[in-house]
Amino acid sequence: MAGSGFLSGLASRAVARFVAALICFAALALFAAKTLRVESDFAAFLPPSTTPEERLLIAQLRDGLVSRLMLVALQGTDEKSLARTSHKLAERLARAPEFEYAANGSLDQFVAQGEVLMRNRYVLSPSLNAEKFTESGLRAALEEQLAQMASPFGALSRSIMVRDPTSEFLAVVRQFDAGAMPALRHGVWFSADGKRAFLIAQTRAPGFDSEGQQQAMATVRKALAEESPQVSAILTGPGVFAAESRRLIRSDAERLSMLSALVILAMLVFVYRSALAVVLVTIPVAFGLLIGVLVVNAVFGSVHAITLGFAATLIGEAVDYPSYLLLNIPPGEVARNTARRFRVTFALAVLTTVVSALALTLSSFKGLAQLGVLTMVGVLVAGLATQYLIPWLLGDHTLVFRRLKVPSANIFARSRWPAAIAALAIVAAAGYLAYQHPAWWQRDLAAISPVPPEMRVEDAELRREMGAPEVSVFLASRGRSQDAALQAAENVLPVLLRWKQEKWIRSFDSPAWYLPTPATQRERLRYLPERVELEGNLAQALKGLAFRPDAFKPFVDDVAAARVAGPVAIASYAGTPLGAKLNALVVELDGQWLVLTPLGGVVDTKTLAQDLAANPRSNSQIVDLKQVSADMVDGFRREALSQSGWGAALILLLLAVGLRSARRALHVALPAAAALVLTVAVLVAGGERLSVFHLVALLLVLGIGLNYALFFERVAADADERSRTRLALAVCSTSTIVTFGFLALSSTPVLHAIGSTVALGAVLALSISALWVRRSEPA
Amino acid sequence: MRNTGRVSIAVRFIAALLSLVAASVMRDARADDFDLMRLMQLLAAAPATEVAFIEKKYSSLLSEPVVSSGKLLYRRPDVVEKNIESPRKERYRFIGDELLLVRNGNEKKIALSSQPLLSAFAASLRGVLGGDLALLRNHYELSLRGEEATWHLDLTPLDEDTARYVQRIVVAGRAGRIEQIEVRETSGDRSVLQVR
Repeated sequence: MAGSGFLSGLASRAVARFVAALICFAALALFAAKTLRVESDFAAFLPPSTTPEERLLIAQLRDGLVSRLMLVALQGTDEKSLARTSHKLAERLARAPEFEYAANGSLDQFVAQGEVLMRNRYVLSPSLNAEKFTESGLRAALEEQLAQMASPFGALSRSIMVRDPTSEFLAVVRQFDAGAMPALRHGVWFSADGKRAFLIAQTRAPGFDSEGQQQAMATVRKALAEESPQVSAILTGPGVFAAESRRLIRSDAERLSMLSALVILAMLVFVYRSALAVVLVTIPVAFGLLIGVLVVNAVFGSVHAITLGFAATLIGEAVDYPSYLLLNIPPGEVARNTARRFRVTFALAVLTTVVSALALTLSSFKGLAQLGVLTMVGVLVAGLATQYLIPWLLGDHTLVFRRLKVPSANIFARSRWPAAIAALAIVAAAGYLAYQHPAWWQRDLAAISPVPPEMRVEDAELRREMGAPEVSVFLASRGRSQDAALQAAENVLPVLLRWKQEKWIRSFDSPAWYLPTPATQRERLRYLPERVELEGNLAQALKGLAFRPDAFKPFVDDVAAARVAGPVAIASYAGTPLGAKLNALVVELDGQWLVLTPLGGVVDTKTLAQDLAANPRSNSQIVDLKQVSADMVDGFRREALSQSGWGAALILLLLAVGLRSARRALHVALPAAAALVLTVAVLVAGGERLSVFHLVALLLVLGIGLNYALFFERVAADADERSRTRLALAVCSTSTIVTFGFLALSSTPVLHAIGSTVALGAVLALSISALWVRRSEPA
Repeated sequence: MRNTGRVSIAVRFIAALLSLVAASVMRDARADDFDLMRLMQLLAAAPATEVAFIEKKYSSLLSEPVVSSGKLLYRRPDVVEKNIESPRKERYRFIGDELLLVRNGNEKKIALSSQPLLSAFAASLRGVLGGDLALLRNHYELSLRGEEATWHLDLTPLDEDTARYVQRIVVAGRAGRIEQIEVRETSGDRSVLQVR
């Protein structure tokens, strides 16, 4: 059989068994390909939300206004070309299906929006009153218009003067001045130094949809390359982060795992010098991964892309099982017998990992729960495959491979000093961690996102240049209905104005400006006189002025139209930037309505909260998304720690039952626990803050550490068996350290965190087990 | 053979170039020829002072033109002030990239670069008063009619935003003295500023 040289030397019945296993695997793979649903919503990896503020945060992060905004900075040529490019790009993006709108500060962009505001100016204007439409009020307004007409601004004001002599449109637009906008040059947004032109585009795809975001980014780049190839662009924003980090992680993970796979394959070939052995080693993990993914898909309805990515690392431990088995087979023995002798050790190695993954399974983080199920099933299947499938496949065939001799480090074993020094180091590490606690927990939700730090720095710099700081503080006004929530937002407007005057905040952007409550709208409409009355007052006011008598007919028509027009609602703004904004800021959540007013330049949220508390009937409260997210991460940490505590107790119980001795259980568990403490201490001393990803990696360290200790602890029959165990441990630890050592080289924070934690943990677990556990064996 | 052919083409080309250069030198040599360069020289040489003006605004919205008057002041290199005294006091002071506006007792500052229309308006005043050809060409297409004794300079805005409102600015003068600035708006309205 040319295609399967590794099977030569096997009996035909054994070949048949291999073929059966292969068919079984192929059928499972086919089934997986047909049914697997992969999702990439990163919110599954955010902490669970329990309070309304937290749900609001998640909603904002996933799908909110902020998450859909893409910032585009153009640079590389002179001001005029940049301004021209900005215009062309805005025009093209506005037409592109990937974007809701693209703004670059130019006036004509807001024509459609301006038209909506102009049409509805009489219900929106805060300065409207009955006096404006009397003879004297109109006279004053007309005189002002006449002076304006003769001024350098005459050409500008002429176009709207005849429709709006009382300047209500201006009054409407003036209150929107949020105070924080980039400088204008050549009519478009520019950085203060004129080197960068800015655009803001809102994507249709939500921020978490990294594929949709990638598509949107490609559209920008393509449009730019076609319009002005000499201009370079920086794209940033939450969506860009999602797309970019996905791309970076994917390419890093692919490159590094390919490298480490090659190195491990080379090592296996070097150790076994047998193709059959190398193939056998890959079987359990392949089955484990495949069945694990299928079970997750069945339980959760889909598998998260991140789960898939990390599953490979978590099940990485399962690669070791077949090596433990194969390398422990004495010459001439069939695998079945070896497997029987190592049954208890194997069972404990597998079950302790399953129990540690149980902590993940119970997590209310959906993503971590998936990871937990995948690990439990994957490790269990890999263990069963090692224990039963490999011996079955081999049957009566005795595996022949080269047996390397690993020297025993007896010098260490004889001296008590290294073990004592290790003990001291661990006590010191534990003390250090206790002293520094809780500074070494990552509290910033943003840092958990796998976005490279350089991108976040660039984003912050652009936002500063644009004068558009990231909005993280909102005033949330509640109500049973949309109208009630808007009423609450309108009621709190005077408070917001006072805050601005007190300089407690720099700006605010209230949806109540754009959507006055029906009562307010009705009240404003009552100021508008009937057509005949207005015509009479206007004719009187025009007497003696240079205007032609019929010049302001459009004004009279507009007022008459406003009196019968329907009220302004969110739908009135459809298709404009304001429409998109209002959809994001007026939201229904858990059966009640929320109106969010973004606050800019907040000095101290406590002052604001206290001031609000003095008005208990305002139905509004301050929501600081940064604070909420920090609380969420803290909550998750508490949950994870208590679950880990239960998990640890369960592991101890399992070991005690399996080893039939509490002392032996402690003997195995202590080195693994010590390795964890030392690993965390080294990471913290190196400046790392522990995040979810570190916790996942630490679970893996625990599993690996327990395995090492279990194999060291096993009472060997003779010196040959001890030598075989040493080889097995050397091979397994080398493969772990190589795999995760490569991951640690990654520039992506998540991969680096997992890689460095596991590689370091594996080295420490192996050393401590060797020092502490082996001392009990007869010298 | 081929080489000689190429040489003869090159020689003919150079000869043609030389004749072109000679023609332009001869044109420049005529001192009384009036062109943009000459006009700018005259304007740049004119003393920068304060002049009184009267401005009339004609519009389809008006039954009679609105008349205002005041003083126009220019100080090199970039300060232009338009001080309106009648019918009510208003002050527009362009300095650097800023317009200082005093009206009804309120002061307001506007960045010229933020408003293409204002920026172009300031450039027309500064360019014409200071004889700055480069500045004018940045914002307008120029066309000069007449001769040194009486000339008309047409400024057609290059910028789209400006062109939406202003069709053309026509400056008229005698030698280094500006006599009239007429702004023709796209709407059909126009304003005529006459120096007294």
